[in-house]
Order: sequence, then C-alpha cells, then structure tokens
Amino acid sequence: MMQQTSDKKWFDELTLELRLRQVHGSAIGDTLASARELLHDTGQSAKEAFGPARQYAASLELPSTPQFAWVRKSLWPLLLGLLAFLLFSQAVVSLVQAEQLLVSPAQFALLLIPVVLIALLPLYIDAAVRHFWILMVLVMMGSLSGAFSALVAPKTPAEAWLAVDPLPCVIGSALVMIAQSVFNTVRTLRSTSDDDIIDPLAVKQSSATGTKIFVHVTNWLFPIYALAVLGLTLALN
Amino acid sequence: MEVTTSGPATAEGVEWPSDWLRATLGLLALRALSAGPSYGYAIISELERHGFGTIKGGTLYPLLTRYETAGLVSTEWRAGDGGPGRKYFDLTERGHAELARLSADWFHFSQLSTDYLDPERRPKEPSV
Repeated sequence: MMQQTSDKKWFDELTLELRLRQVHGSAIGDTLASARELLHDTGQSAKEAFGPARQYAASLELPSTPQFAWVRKSLWPLLLGLLAFLLFSQAVVSLVQAEQLLVSPAQFALLLIPVVLIALLPLYIDAAVRHFWILMVLVMMGSLSGAFSALVAPKTPAEAWLAVDPLPCVIGSALVMIAQSVFNTVRTLRSTSDDDIIDPLAVKQSSATGTKIFVHVTNWLFPIYALAVLGLTLALN
Repeated sequence: MEVTTSGPATAEGVEWPSDWLRATLGLLALRALSAGPSYGYAIISELERHGFGTIKGGTLYPLLTRYETAGLVSTEWRAGDGGPGRKYFDLTERGHAELARLSADWFHFSQLSTDYLDPERRPKEPSV
C-alpha cells in the first residue's frame, strides 16, 4: 500500500517533470507505460528502479517542443487578455456610476504588478510548479495588488493622474477579450494537440469530453469574469 | 585511494566498477538485442545471467531511448497477458552495423588493454 502511494507520487512527479521539459504527450505516455511495465516485472519500487523522477526525466532526453514556444502560443495572449480585463473592470465601475475613469500613479503601479508577474513567468515557472508555496505567494501578491489598487483609486478628478471617458475603454477591452476568446476557441478546435498523454496500447484515444469542455471554458475565462464584474457592479450600484 | 565506484553486484558477488559498465552498457544492450526483439526486463535478465550484475531501469531505458532516437533500434508495443503491455526493442539494420563496428573496436581495445596489463605479453620497450 505504501509502495503504491510512493509510486503514484513518483509517477506524478515524472509526468510533471516531463511536462516542464515540454515533452510531447505521446512520449510521456510511452515513458509512463514503459516504467509501469518494468515495475510489474521486477516488483521494485519506482524510485528503486529508476531513481529520483526529476533525474530520470532529465536522463531520457525525449523529443520536446522548443522550450519557450508556449510563451508565444499562450503567455502573450494571456497577458493581452489580462490587460483587457483589468481595463474593463476599472472602466465598467466608472461607466455604471456615470463618472470619468480616474487613474492615479499608485493605482496604475499596483495594477501593473499582476501583469509583470505573468510577463516574467518564464523565469520562475519551474520553481513555482515544483514548490506550491511559491505559487501561493504569487497568487497572494496578485490578489493583494488588485485589492490595494481599489483603495488608492482617486476619488475626484483633481486627485487623478489620468481622467478618460470609460465607454470606449469598456467597449475596446470587451472586444479584445471576445476576439481573443474566439481566436483561442478556433485554435483549440483546429489543433491536433500533442499535449494529451496517450497510452501507447490504446487503440484510439481522444481527450475526454470533460477535458474538452474545461479547455473551452478556460478560453472564455476573461469574458466570463468580465460579465461577473459587470453584474456585481450593477448589483452594488 | 579508490578512484572508481562499484557497480551492481553479479550473482558471484563481483561488483564491476560502475565506470566500466557505463562505458560498455550500450554495446552490451545492442548485443542482447541481436538475437531478436526483446523488452526491458528480458534485457536486464540477459545481462544479469551473463555476469554483468543487475542493471537498473533508470540506466537502461535512457540508453534505449537514445538508440531509438538515433535509429539503432525500433520499438513496438505488444499487449501483455494479464499484465501491462510490453515495449519491444528491435535492432534496425543500422543497429546491427553499429553492433558489428563497436564489437570489432571493443575486441581491439580489450586486446590492447590485456597485452598492456600482462607484463609477459607486453612488448619490450626500447631502452633509452
């Protein structure tokens, strides 16, 4: 029982390490199945047979996509969506209250924190995935900066550094979020993804319906959040 | 002072220096596959039966993966009877050629090493 638990942890770690190395899903599936085959034959524990998961993943030198291909494919669109969402959530409050969108330097700096945290993700993503507390610290930093930005928001145009009509900001940011979500949805539908971990012995395997739905929902996260912000603002108003 | 670390123990209790096994395991694995397609545990058992000790999966599989990438072996998954499926490795033509080349080189190298280590067989060095 204990060996099963430690083996499961080892296999989870191996999958994570191979993911971090951008190894194709089919190669990950093949590696996991090979390891299971040998453990079944020898009766050894995973760590005994293969050593630490991280070291084993590194030693395999499996085919992978270029290390930072995901930055262009996923990170920059995510950053654009986040910027649009931040602008929308600030502007929609002013629009509902029939006021100008007022921005102070402190508020602007605080709103930039989550943007910078995401832009610098390639530098620390490995550490954040391996150590859960780092991920928690980053989420806390992003959340607190959002909360503090509301506290330092200017109350009058005299306090503001920038005062603009919120309507174009709301429309523009909403259009960016929708366009980005449509683009991502089309790309998801067309892609022959090599992300899925494929069991080499399965005759035919496709992503589970739940996974597909989850991917489509994530494509529309920013518009969904924006609608929630709009609803909350209208309710509070 | 010991400059080499011990490798896996054989059935006779001999522990070959791990450096030796690291250097020769590739050639030995190709040889183990020369009789026909085989899978991880069978290759390990074959090498153990011939006195090389128990090779770990963490040592063998990265090597086989590199050989697969280099086109020296091809692989095929076959369903297992009552257990998980097995990944069979098979030498390609290129793999057979590489085995022949490495074997010839190894015989030459081992002969040189044996001659050098045995004072009786070592050629006399010219006196200065």
